[in-house]
Amino acid sequence: MNNNIIAAALVAALGALALPASAEVVVIVSQKNPASRMFSEQASQFFLGKSNLFTPVDLPESSAVRAEFYKKVADKDTAQVKALWSKLVFTGKATAPKEYASAAEVKKAVAADPKAIGYIEKSAVDDTVKVILTLP
Amino acid sequence: MKKQLLVAAVLAAMATMQAHAGALDDGNLSISGFGTVGVAKGNSDTAEFARYNQAKGVGDSPRISLDTNLGLQATYKMNDWLSGTVQVLSRKGPEGNFGTEVTWGFLKAKINDEVSVRVGRVVVPTFLISDYQNVGYANTMMRPPVELYAQNPIENSDGADINYQTNFGDLNFTAQAFVGVSRGKIYVSSGSGSVATYRAPDAGISISGEYGPFIVRAAHARAEMEINDIGSLNTLSNTLTAVGFGKLASDLNFKDGKKIAFTSVGMTMDWNNILLQAEYAQRRAKEPVYLADTNAWYAMAGYRIGKFVPYVAHSNVEGHGTSVTVPAAFAAAPAALRGAVTGLMGAQEQSTSLVGVRWDFAKSMALKVQLDRVKPKAKSGYLIHAPAAGTTKDINVVAVGLDFVF
Repeated sequence: MNNNIIAAALVAALGALALPASAEVVVIVSQKNPASRMFSEQASQFFLGKSNLFTPVDLPESSAVRAEFYKKVADKDTAQVKALWSKLVFTGKATAPKEYASAAEVKKAVAADPKAIGYIEKSAVDDTVKVILTLP
Repeated sequence: MKKQLLVAAVLAAMATMQAHAGALDDGNLSISGFGTVGVAKGNSDTAEFARYNQAKGVGDSPRISLDTNLGLQATYKMNDWLSGTVQVLSRKGPEGNFGTEVTWGFLKAKINDEVSVRVGRVVVPTFLISDYQNVGYANTMMRPPVELYAQNPIENSDGADINYQTNFGDLNFTAQAFVGVSRGKIYVSSGSGSVATYRAPDAGISISGEYGPFIVRAAHARAEMEINDIGSLNTLSNTLTAVGFGKLASDLNFKDGKKIAFTSVGMTMDWNNILLQAEYAQRRAKEPVYLADTNAWYAMAGYRIGKFVPYVAHSNVEGHGTSVTVPAAFAAAPAALRGAVTGLMGAQEQSTSLVGVRWDFAKSMALKVQLDRVKPKAKSGYLIHAPAAGTTKDINVVAVGLDFVF
């Protein structure tokens, strides 16, 4: 009897531990962009103001995909990224990435600009954009 | 009245910020801003704690003047490579009220992906956080350590600068050089306090490398500082000249411009939730002037726990001699005059130990609480409205501030 209860408790506990399926995030560029592959460290440079080669675009702050992206590519949370951009924006060195409301709008913006770089859920990818990095 | 208007403006700005996600973007025009609403209180009724260039500090009653500010910035993109930016900042300054100034206003031309040139009123990046020291949200501590940052109150220059940024593999390298003329008002705390005007042709260079969790930065700037209207100094000069020490008088003051050099090295680290920030800076007069040479440093350590960052820091400034050689004959001058000159040439020395916590509790907002224990050592340190004989009594300053950006 006790063993059954313990077993049931263990199963329940393990069930509770099961992580929610986190979105697989991919980094995308325009089909007109010659880049074909990019390392995570390189991608982070564009989103943290360390390189002007590509123009970064963001999803809204409230997006789980955005939080996941910055956590994976730079190990930073939203507030840290914002503080970092504040140093660049308010010294006139850079403008923060433009925000688009949804993956569809990000794809549209990225597809239209050969210098744009963005990130969306893997499931939202279509052939208007090119995936150059899949985050683990 | 002005204080109430500023607080109302800050609250209105925060309301706007809540209503709009991110910067207001009207095609090519983007408007953004930052600010701090802060209250501070000291425990001294004999001296006041202030940031540099503030005419009024914090004594033993709560004040919002120490850390409260509001910055508004507008950037207009004319095309792919040309843009214009203007930033105005309101804060308590050298004239005792909440003043508004144009911190910078420039045209920026992007030469290529790595180089850009700006012309107009540009940022003077003397020390590690000089160029964003007014943006509370961008900093861990409540305010830049006054021991180091008061060494140079110049924040902008009318001229031009060039910015270079490149990546060597995982190393991000930036360099910045500027040249221009800085103009402004400065608060002189000697006597009952007065406001003087300065003009300083200046130039400087800073280079910075970011590798993984580390940023290391070095900078050197020179200013040829000219100030003609420090009342108490002019009186002393006239007296010295009248008794035959004209050369000493002209050596001491800032008339005709005196060259001052600032050199600094600084670093930050953000690794495994451990934050470090440390800096060392020197001020050296390259020509005789009453302002003492100083060495200053500070070190901060913090630890990120979720949205909280508790931190501690220690800062210190001490004198490193003087650039003025007092003639041997001056030993025969009246004692009061010798005392005035010696007092003038001495360095302000002070150290501070502080502890605080930053809490990123909401989107685009951070709450900070900081307690400073300020120990004036010579010439009342950087305390203002201190007794004429000076004070070495430690004072505590507690401050609470809300930083925001929009």
